[in-house]
Amino acid sequence: MKLNEQSQNLGVRIGTIHIIAFILLAILGVRLYYLQVVKGEHYAERAENQRIRHIPIPAPRGVIFDRNGKILVDSRPTWNVVLSNEPIKKIDTSSRVEDYGKGLHLDPSFVVERLELIKKQNEFETLVLKENATIQDIAWVESHSLEFPELRVENQPQRFYPHGTQLAHILGYVGEISPKQLESDEWKDKGLKAGDIIGKGGLEQYYDEFLRGKPGYRKVIVDSRGRVQSEIGVVPAQGGQDMVSTIDLDLQLAAEQQLANSSTKRGTIIAMDPNNGEILAMASLPSFDPNIFVQGSKTPEGRKQIAAYWQDEKRPLFNRAIQGRYPPGSTWKIPESVGALQQGVITVKDSKVLCGGGITIGNKFTRCMGSHGAPPLDFAITHSCDGYYYHLALKMKIEGLIKMIETFDYDKRTGIDLPNEKVSQTPKSWKPIIEKREGRWSDIRTVYASVGQDTVVVTPIAMLRAVASVGMKGKMYTPHFLKEFRAIGAVGEEADLNYIPGREAFGFQHPEPKIIEMTPEQNDLVVKGMWGVVNGGGTGAGIRIPGFEIAGKTGTAQVAELGKDVGANKDHAWFVSFAPAFKPEIAVIALIENSGFGGANAAPAAKGIYEAYMTGKGMAPVNAEVSEGQVPDANPDVRPVRGNANSNANSRAPRAVD
Amino acid sequence: MVAIIEKRDLRDFDWLTTFLAVAIACFGIWQIRNALPTESYWTKQIIGLCIALVAFLVIAFSDYRRIIELAPIFYGFGLVLLALVITPLGVEVNGQQAWLKLPVIGQFQPSEFVKIPTVLMLAKYFGARKSGSLSIREILIGGAIMAGPIGLIMLEPDAGQALTYFPIFAAVLFLSAIQIRYVVIVLLAAAIFVPASYIIGVKTGAIKRYQQERINAVLDPESVDPKGYGYHTMQSIITVGKGGLTGIKGDPETSQSVLKFLPEPHTDFIFAVTAENTGFIGCVSLLIAYALLLSRLIAGARSASERPGMLVIMSIATAMVFQIFINVGMALGFLPVIGVPLPLMSAGLSAILSTFIAIGFVVSVKMRRFVN
Repeated sequence: MKLNEQSQNLGVRIGTIHIIAFILLAILGVRLYYLQVVKGEHYAERAENQRIRHIPIPAPRGVIFDRNGKILVDSRPTWNVVLSNEPIKKIDTSSRVEDYGKGLHLDPSFVVERLELIKKQNEFETLVLKENATIQDIAWVESHSLEFPELRVENQPQRFYPHGTQLAHILGYVGEISPKQLESDEWKDKGLKAGDIIGKGGLEQYYDEFLRGKPGYRKVIVDSRGRVQSEIGVVPAQGGQDMVSTIDLDLQLAAEQQLANSSTKRGTIIAMDPNNGEILAMASLPSFDPNIFVQGSKTPEGRKQIAAYWQDEKRPLFNRAIQGRYPPGSTWKIPESVGALQQGVITVKDSKVLCGGGITIGNKFTRCMGSHGAPPLDFAITHSCDGYYYHLALKMKIEGLIKMIETFDYDKRTGIDLPNEKVSQTPKSWKPIIEKREGRWSDIRTVYASVGQDTVVVTPIAMLRAVASVGMKGKMYTPHFLKEFRAIGAVGEEADLNYIPGREAFGFQHPEPKIIEMTPEQNDLVVKGMWGVVNGGGTGAGIRIPGFEIAGKTGTAQVAELGKDVGANKDHAWFVSFAPAFKPEIAVIALIENSGFGGANAAPAAKGIYEAYMTGKGMAPVNAEVSEGQVPDANPDVRPVRGNANSNANSRAPRAVD
Repeated sequence: MVAIIEKRDLRDFDWLTTFLAVAIACFGIWQIRNALPTESYWTKQIIGLCIALVAFLVIAFSDYRRIIELAPIFYGFGLVLLALVITPLGVEVNGQQAWLKLPVIGQFQPSEFVKIPTVLMLAKYFGARKSGSLSIREILIGGAIMAGPIGLIMLEPDAGQALTYFPIFAAVLFLSAIQIRYVVIVLLAAAIFVPASYIIGVKTGAIKRYQQERINAVLDPESVDPKGYGYHTMQSIITVGKGGLTGIKGDPETSQSVLKFLPEPHTDFIFAVTAENTGFIGCVSLLIAYALLLSRLIAGARSASERPGMLVIMSIATAMVFQIFINVGMALGFLPVIGVPLPLMSAGLSAILSTFIAIGFVVSVKMRRFVN
């Protein structure tokens, strides 16, 4: 070192810098070793996660057919404009509101709402900005892909209900699974994620797991702004299974028509094959349009309509057939008659019970609308003699009525394959409550219960099932809509990681029918009475169809509290029936809310269904119109019973007529 | 030019240093291509390297002593260029007005080049002094030489570039017989002052929120907002780590830089690209190449026949070490994000040209080590 002598330890100082340089490089080497060798796999995975995206391929839901192969609901392809939140979180969205609004013809306030919503979502999730995008919308999005990388067009099969409000309660509708549902025990482990479409209500809900397909996905590589760069794999979707239902679309439309033509346009009609419980038609009015739920849940107008459905006091979302509970009135006399025969209170040979024009309990007189002497059972059914049943029920005692209730499963759900079925309320459920409240079960309640009032409210489906079993000589089937789920093929090769096995076809798993014990003679006697209602000059004589014998029972159930029996709260009209009377093929129940007499309001609606049934079977069209009016209404003069034996117990003094 | 080159020149020419520098630069070009294969940065860099080699040879075969004689002229010219940057002739890129656009020459970054006249100026001043400890007056004059370019660069503002001037000054003072007690005092003062000023800065609000975030991103990159200021640091760490032992194989289309997760992959974050593509083995090889190059430079300094030559080489070597450490430390996520290019690797004509000119001086000094 030539310079060494010129300054202090120059060689050492140069060496110091040399060593510092090496130390710094060594620090870098150690850090490199940590990041690349020790944590290499961790970061490789993170890099993988941030560049790989799974873009879902939605699976079409299964189609639902009627029993003859007519489409009741299917899915049609639609295009949605979706927002992905990955780029959106990095940009100032206030500038987007106007752009989106103009480009996609959206309400600015709605755009603001959606933008705020998506910012709260988890990373990498998407949110639909516009459903049912038009060609113009799609072109706009595609041509602005550089400007607005957060927008994407996605294909989404959308549920379409071609019959609109008709069938709505049976089919239900579909919608995005709610955050609450996602966390519920029912859904937690089913592999669903936010935004997935599930059935809500009706068959869509009940058979959701079969109707719902398994979505596939496209595995793509995205850049840091979430733009798709290339596709590296596809897992195809597996569609849902197609369902063949027991519905007969023609009968269904006839039922809808009958309700629409009824005086209050509120009520329900159910038609069932009594031989196996297959529901042929189930209409409930007022109704709703499921398409509004499907298409409108993301538009302000649609939401307004949905809210209106929920707030409507006529309750259009309510399926009256299985959720409505109505006092059955005189239709109650059919199971009651069977119960009395079973329990030996009356016999086939001696079924006479005093009518007496009414009954006095304490100081209170409850009248029959006629004076029938002491008629036999079939006469009492045909002419709907209240006095007969007042006395019969007192003989059966409330315990006998409760036994009958248990026999006909009025204390249970019918087990129909629809969600949210209600259980009827009967003296069985009320007795402990009343006894606790009033100290005892008074005879007057037994008398009221004998004619399907006061402590009795039943669902139309439970009533139809019970009465149809009488037609079937005591075989009570489970009502249902499922005929068959069709098979769907497997997706992919069996060795594949993403292989989805096929799903097999299956039909309704028929539970054994419940057997109502009765002798053929007992059965015949009740059916004879029901036959007489329509064919023997009884309360439903107005709907007689020559050559097609209907066995039925009318009912007129009091709705209002005593003294409030005004227009809006007129009686509910019932008609429950099966035909042909002695070898039934079809059972029909009709309930028209607040329309008045059963024979005059419900029975003609049921008749419409029978006529449609006959047309469907190719039977000669009948014209029974002529016979109508020849048979006078059996109960021209009915008034609510007044008087008060129990000062506070019975503000509702019920009455049952025809 | 060939005629001027004497036989002795070729014998004394530092072939190994030249080879190492060119090899690293070629490796850099490969990485620039890996970073952005569809863009033309790597071809531009090849042209840049050719230009830089010409400049390198011109400098290497020039007599550095004559150039040092002219140092004040170059230094003055450099200050003029830096001043021009902050006039409307300057070009703003990413919020920094660090570029100058001149007719014929085109666009370049004066702060890269002015380092050389500054080094020459320091070498001229401190190389002329006699033995004995450094006086305060000498330190102040040295400080004044530094203040010119640093002050002008801070006006751009380009804190990263300005920062690279300090180690040069420190090395020159250290090698000009500054008393060890001053060194100790400065080190102690830094150990106390840096954390203290950070705390005070945070409390008084002198250190801005985003600056804090950048520092936090270094201290704990996993917990900072990945979409915020820690994003670049986190993405660089992921990119480096992803390389693993041997680098990615196949699908370069899915690299962090091509998918734009890694920002500035061809310049500031070229080391992360290297790490992703060549893995630990490639990175360590690169660091070893730098170590060899630096060792050659420092060996040249030891054998220099005069103080100014020694100071030029050591200043250049120190500046290079410091830039490597800052740039790679940033890519490895333990230093804040500062825009300092990686010598010989980062894309950019200004950077590679100035580096090769600097190495040209080193070679020139070594060639003349036997001359008095």
